[in-house]
Amino acid sequence: MSKPTLGIFGLTGCAGDQLVILDCEDELLQLVSLLDIRDFLMASSQNDVVCPLDIALVEGAVLTNRDAEKLREIRRRARILVALGTCAVWGGVAAMDGSADRRQRLAEIYGETGLSYDSVPAQALHEIVKADLNITGCPIEKSQFLAAVANLLNGDVPVFSEYPVCSECRMLENNCLLIERGEMCCGPITAAGCRARCPNLRVPCIGCRGPVADGNASSLLAAFEEKGFSRHDVAARLRTFAPQGGAQ
Amino acid sequence: MKTVLIEHLARVEGHGGITVELEDHTVSKVHFEVFEGARLLESLVRGKRYDEVAPILSRICSICSIAHSLTSLKATENAFGIRISSQTELLRELLYLGESIQSHALHLFFLAIPDYLDSPSAVALAAENPDAVRLGLRLKKLGNLIQGAIGGRAIHPVNCVPGGFGTVPNVDQLIELRGALTEAMHDCGAVIELMASLPAAEFCHDDTVYAALFASGPDTYYAGDEVIVASDGERCTVRAADYRNLTNEKSVLHSHAKHCSFHGRPFMVGSLARLTVNPQRLTGRLAEAMKRLQLKFPAANPMDNNKAQAVELVGDIERAGEIVEHLLRDGVQDERPAAVPVRAGTGTAITEAPRGLLVHSYTYDAGGRVTAADVITPTALNAASMEQRFRRVAEQYEGNEDAVLEKRLGMVARAYDPCISCSVHLVRTR
Repeated sequence: MSKPTLGIFGLTGCAGDQLVILDCEDELLQLVSLLDIRDFLMASSQNDVVCPLDIALVEGAVLTNRDAEKLREIRRRARILVALGTCAVWGGVAAMDGSADRRQRLAEIYGETGLSYDSVPAQALHEIVKADLNITGCPIEKSQFLAAVANLLNGDVPVFSEYPVCSECRMLENNCLLIERGEMCCGPITAAGCRARCPNLRVPCIGCRGPVADGNASSLLAAFEEKGFSRHDVAARLRTFAPQGGAQ
Repeated sequence: MKTVLIEHLARVEGHGGITVELEDHTVSKVHFEVFEGARLLESLVRGKRYDEVAPILSRICSICSIAHSLTSLKATENAFGIRISSQTELLRELLYLGESIQSHALHLFFLAIPDYLDSPSAVALAAENPDAVRLGLRLKKLGNLIQGAIGGRAIHPVNCVPGGFGTVPNVDQLIELRGALTEAMHDCGAVIELMASLPAAEFCHDDTVYAALFASGPDTYYAGDEVIVASDGERCTVRAADYRNLTNEKSVLHSHAKHCSFHGRPFMVGSLARLTVNPQRLTGRLAEAMKRLQLKFPAANPMDNNKAQAVELVGDIERAGEIVEHLLRDGVQDERPAAVPVRAGTGTAITEAPRGLLVHSYTYDAGGRVTAADVITPTALNAASMEQRFRRVAEQYEGNEDAVLEKRLGMVARAYDPCISCSVHLVRTR
């Protein structure tokens, strides 16, 4: 059987999810031997920019018309389109304040020239095209990425845990930052998969992986208010990485 | 007239291109175009609490996320008058070294070296020269190991908070780092030999102004507060708080990155600049590596930045080893972060990200919320210098093949190790 063809793409973002792929130092050479990587601009200067792709991995959010056009083109080429990372899945940090006056901010930062820039409000991939699979995280976790690729190579659909960071944190027997120390920890409604990286280091979770399915944001909001945090601060924190997530 | 166009620069972080217009051999136009979308993060942190700023602004760039995070924290700590412990200083320096090792290894082995060997990528190179690619992967992994142990995550560190760290590393982690660093010392010679074996890349020569943080002690990345601008044997000093004297930026239509100049001349930041302004560092193994690579200052060839990164890799691994030994010898105290006495004020920090000077400057209100934020990145600082070099490349190219000129332009662009996600944001006009 021929190897599946793969493309790895970045829209607007920090390139962190592509970097996680390159950070798979122990697995990288094996990984590339199992795949036929045709289009990966960040790592190669020889790319086939039109061929059909079995799998397209796309990181970043859509922040320009150019991004949107590129994403539609990738969708046309790809059998399976994977949204890679919180920006691609949820919109990410650039989407945190959707109500902002974009023209005003462009002018403020770049001066009058800013008004002519190609610039649209941040959107997740699914707002433009259909994404077949979401791998969230800011950045994605190496273990989840490798598991997902292994699944796809075997013709399986990757399945990710659907519980919150809180569950992972409890399994590690950490003291609770929210209940015991009154810190604004978003673990109860944030998607697990990071092995509770932050609370495990005594740092509150800031929700960088986006909301867990069926998370109870209103109950968390009440718990935060009880600890003395304002509704405004809590809503802002919950919107930081995933504006359409738990913070409506 | 003809136009040489690199529509989308490959093997760099982010989205940019180069346009050069030529009439005979006279260059009429040179543009380094940045078309990364504007995320406007600077304006998005306005109104945020002091502890939310670093995690948001680290997202400017993954490769430099440690530098963004720690420079952000230093600016915030300066605004509130927080003094961090000497242990925190040492751990932060170690974290910087980890990032620099990862970043230099990524840049040299994955982005830059394939050009010299006529290979499109490190993956393609692995078929012909697997040892070189494995060497690069080992060094990358070392950098990531350090970043993970100290920062809690290699990309977008989670353990760095105002005043210190959430949790300090334990002895087992430090012993693991010591083992990996000791092994890496054996790889340093191979890196220098590999770099020395590459074909010469001499496409443009000109006198350049270099700017870097002055290192008064062993910490070349994080501790300093004074920038030295060196040109034609002269050295000017700019203190962090006066960083605007260094960056007279202006917006340009073809790029979302602003262009900077000092006394009307573009300048270069990064590894080559750091070595140029800190000759006192160049002893022992660094001096040997420089000699082997025939690296001399002031360098007129921008491609020498690649050699300088290799020299720094050697120095960074050696220094990281010293710090880990020191921590193991003296023991790591389970310190909590320093207290944060919130107050109104402005704080500025300049550090050396892997690819050069990075400035974060914030103003806070009395409640510890951001009222103004300013970030100036190495790639924004380098943009004008890059354009100047593209012009030289085009002027000094005597042949007639567009493909050769394109390749040279791409190689010079990569030598600057541009981080285009970084370049795009957050330079405020006032």
